[in-house]
Amino acid sequence: MPLARRSRLAALLVAGALAVTATSCGGDDEGGTPVLKWYARDEAGGVFGAAIEDCNAAAEGRYRIELAPMPNNADEQREQLVRRLAAQDGDIDLMNMDVIWTAEFANAGWIREWPEDQVEAVTEGRLENAVESASFEDRLYGIPLNTNAQLLWYRTDLTEEPPATWDEMIEMADRLEADGEPHDIVEQGQRYEGLVVWFASLLASAGGSILNEEGTEVTLEEEPTRRALEVLRDVSRSSHAMPALATAQEDQGRQAWESGDSAFMVNYGFVWPSANQLAPDIAEKMAWAPFPSVEPDVESTVVAGGFNIGIGAYGDHPDLAVEAATCLANEENQTRNAQDAGLLPVTEALYDDPEVTEAEGDDGVKLFPYAAEMKEALDRATLRPRTPFYNDVSLAIISILHPTADIDPEADVDRLREAIEQALKGEGLL
Amino acid sequence: MTAATPAAAAATREAMTKKGLSARARSERKLGWMLCAPAVTVMLIVTAYPIAYAVWLSMQRYDLRFPDDRGFVGFDNYSAVLGNSLWWRDLINTSVIMVVSVAIELVLGFALAFVMHRAIFGRGLVRSAILVPYGIITVVAAFAWRFAFSPTEGFVNGLLNTDQSWFTESWSSYLVIILAEVWKTTPFMSLLLLAGFTLVPDDAVKAARVDGASASYRLRKVIIPLMKPAILVAVLFRTMDAFRIFDSVFVMTRGAQGTENVSILGYKTLVSRLNLGLGSAVSVLIFVCVLIIAFVFVKGFGTNLSQQRGEAP
Amino acid sequence: MAAPGSKVTGKDRVFWGVGIFMVVAYALIPVLWLVSLSLTPADELGGGGFWPDNPTLENYTGSETGVFQDDQFPAALKNSLGIALIATVLAVILATFAAYAIVRLDFPGKNLVMAGALAIAMFPQVSIIGPLFNMWRDLKLFDTWPGLIIPYMTFTLPLAIWTLSAFFREIPWDLDKAARIDGATPFQAFRKVIAPLAAPGMFTSAILVFIFAWNDFLFATSLTSTNRARTVPAAITFFTGSSQFTFPTGQIAAASVVVTIPIIVMVLIFQRRIVSGLTSGAVKG
Repeated sequence: MPLARRSRLAALLVAGALAVTATSCGGDDEGGTPVLKWYARDEAGGVFGAAIEDCNAAAEGRYRIELAPMPNNADEQREQLVRRLAAQDGDIDLMNMDVIWTAEFANAGWIREWPEDQVEAVTEGRLENAVESASFEDRLYGIPLNTNAQLLWYRTDLTEEPPATWDEMIEMADRLEADGEPHDIVEQGQRYEGLVVWFASLLASAGGSILNEEGTEVTLEEEPTRRALEVLRDVSRSSHAMPALATAQEDQGRQAWESGDSAFMVNYGFVWPSANQLAPDIAEKMAWAPFPSVEPDVESTVVAGGFNIGIGAYGDHPDLAVEAATCLANEENQTRNAQDAGLLPVTEALYDDPEVTEAEGDDGVKLFPYAAEMKEALDRATLRPRTPFYNDVSLAIISILHPTADIDPEADVDRLREAIEQALKGEGLL
Repeated sequence: MTAATPAAAAATREAMTKKGLSARARSERKLGWMLCAPAVTVMLIVTAYPIAYAVWLSMQRYDLRFPDDRGFVGFDNYSAVLGNSLWWRDLINTSVIMVVSVAIELVLGFALAFVMHRAIFGRGLVRSAILVPYGIITVVAAFAWRFAFSPTEGFVNGLLNTDQSWFTESWSSYLVIILAEVWKTTPFMSLLLLAGFTLVPDDAVKAARVDGASASYRLRKVIIPLMKPAILVAVLFRTMDAFRIFDSVFVMTRGAQGTENVSILGYKTLVSRLNLGLGSAVSVLIFVCVLIIAFVFVKGFGTNLSQQRGEAP
Repeated sequence: MAAPGSKVTGKDRVFWGVGIFMVVAYALIPVLWLVSLSLTPADELGGGGFWPDNPTLENYTGSETGVFQDDQFPAALKNSLGIALIATVLAVILATFAAYAIVRLDFPGKNLVMAGALAIAMFPQVSIIGPLFNMWRDLKLFDTWPGLIIPYMTFTLPLAIWTLSAFFREIPWDLDKAARIDGATPFQAFRKVIAPLAAPGMFTSAILVFIFAWNDFLFATSLTSTNRARTVPAAITFFTGSSQFTFPTGQIAAASVVVTIPIIVMVLIFQRRIVSGLTSGAVKG
């Protein structure tokens, strides 16, 4: 019967199509070289591609790294990774992990503990915070690749000296406004992780913390928490808050800065090469200082960011993956990442290495003139809470604090505590 | 064989009925099943199994980050969701977007359909233009509107001579989201309404005009009643679709400024928090809401769905 | 066709001219805005105007910032086209069988098929992402073309079945009866007589299915992981700026323009068919 023949043909066609694509999923080369998939956001300047090339050459055929590019947005990167890890996907050999993911991934058993005999190679010479960020319950789960911290950027044509505290910054902005000068303060107030960074840095600078050392209990000391919330509210309600603060991420801040309407900006180092390229007249007058203090005479403490390379728990070649990760995060590659993509190194010695500190962009502008101040900030820096529930804790903080102009410091200390306590139980809607 | 003998054919068939019907009916039945089988099989594999799985998950305590702490909890997840003010707030947010955008789309869609139906020239141009928003990728459209209203790179503020930060306040975020939704989906609404216009015989309108009825009277008393079936179908499909709005809110605010809706809540719980139990309960509840909407339309307005066409999500 | 019962006056022309202009502006301004953004050099973003002062193609062809600089976008474009086309062909074939049976044949369960299709069209897709992901991994369909083709086909089947049923109700079925009287089997009647008549309807539903498959973001981002199968809407969110924090506005705009072009070409060529496809089923029983 024609119908039967035809449907059999259709079935064959579909099956054939499936087979063709299915066979292209094999993990190994024809030559038998194990392929290691590295899940990472493809940084600018092709730096990861270059690192892969070097490491593959050095491996002399023992492994071959391939980059699996990740989305731009860190939340989406995490969503992609955890969906696969939760399904015990063996395709992930190596992955770039934001420093805030370590506890969650390690606790769920999605990443491998670093082999004990290799731990020293990772920790030696690397920034303490960076190593700490790759650890969970005193065990190492990744190799730090790059770090990051925020600085205060200001304009020498508007203020000769940078403000030492947030209160002072608001006063300076008041004066600038009275003189008809640009007076905006740029921060990250969008409902996303950047807002947690702002709050956590303020809280740490005020001498407080979100969770205890073990990440099991809410601390949120009364006085520092209230001070941090007051600063958030005061900045957001003042006439100096950048327009659209409630939706501002790092890049909106950069644009507002380059437009010339802003006097102060808290942001990462990427704003420097960008301003030099896109707004040279602003860059000329641009200077940097530590994140402002909350209390006078107490140095500020910011929270450090950055990425570590973790080893997927379900990959077939864990030992090779450790070797490959160690290569990808070695000093040569860190140096190139710094030179071509602006990623800050985690190896302490590189902050004194002219290859990094004197590095220049294509246009002859120095890339890391702020290296010394950044290193000081990193030495004083702390980390965001390390708990398997970090994602829930972060969502809880954002849901209470956003929009920052509506913060009521007295009442919100308790609301914040309740929300985070609920998040630590992992229950309920957030 | 020609088409000239339908009556004869029917008669012949009549004559054959006594002996042949049961065999013919059986083969017809078999053919019907065979022809439907591939489509039904695919739909069952890709949706029924995952849906059943989602219902089952919604009765479990199951967080992918803590795979060991797993167990059957009955309807606990549902009471956790329904007992949380967040669910109800998000449901209200969803309803606001749904009601406001469908209402605007109905009026605007009516106007567009009128232009398409009656324009004395350029009808092809209008119809082609109107299909651009219909065909454009939702994510792309959402980016276009987000960029347009951005205080830094956008043009809207320059146009209106303001420095409004549209996504920083609730009302203005809703405004932009609804605007984007209306822009993207009004064409669909207007095409369904255009079909309704063809139901209105010119004679009826002409007769009313001869009788001296005003334009608004003709619209209210003649045109709209005749178009009622088309209007109901258009509103039904758009309502159900608007209830599940996701892409554009995701791109524009990710639920900030009180614009979080039930789909975003489900996505956040399922995909971001990996709480499969709770998240599945949210998804199943969303499905139930959609069923209720469909039921209200069918029972309340007498829309005969079986005679109408389905619009894919 | 002129407005019934009246002559076209100059006033009418002005009225309709303005009306048509407004409709076209409504539809095209956001698209023109994307074109403008895609032509805006990075240092002009934030200028506040609608059109850049120094338009440039750097977001398309630039050696550093162009969307075609690496394989990501070209590969995604190829995937999008291939996946959408195959899904369209398969969905229309399956839907044609089903719609023919529903319109022409009497068999128990056909209302169930229609109702089931409708329910599928209504289900929140976000909730089946998890289960589907697991199934696809077991079946080795994750990050493959079939892995996306199958869900696209499934979720467009309701649309295709309903649209085709509406078209099939319009076909003069007596031809089919006559053929069957002449000794043709039901299937021969279907293939030789009805299929050619049904072709226009099939083509129309194909366009609607293609638009759906071309549009999807959720499945594309959840069920793919590399250039092997990632489609454009998902790939757009993978574009990277010059640093972790730089938002690639120009590249997103450029890619958006590129993927909007096929849609514009289609609506220009097939306007009549799309309109009839969307309107035909709405009111006819």
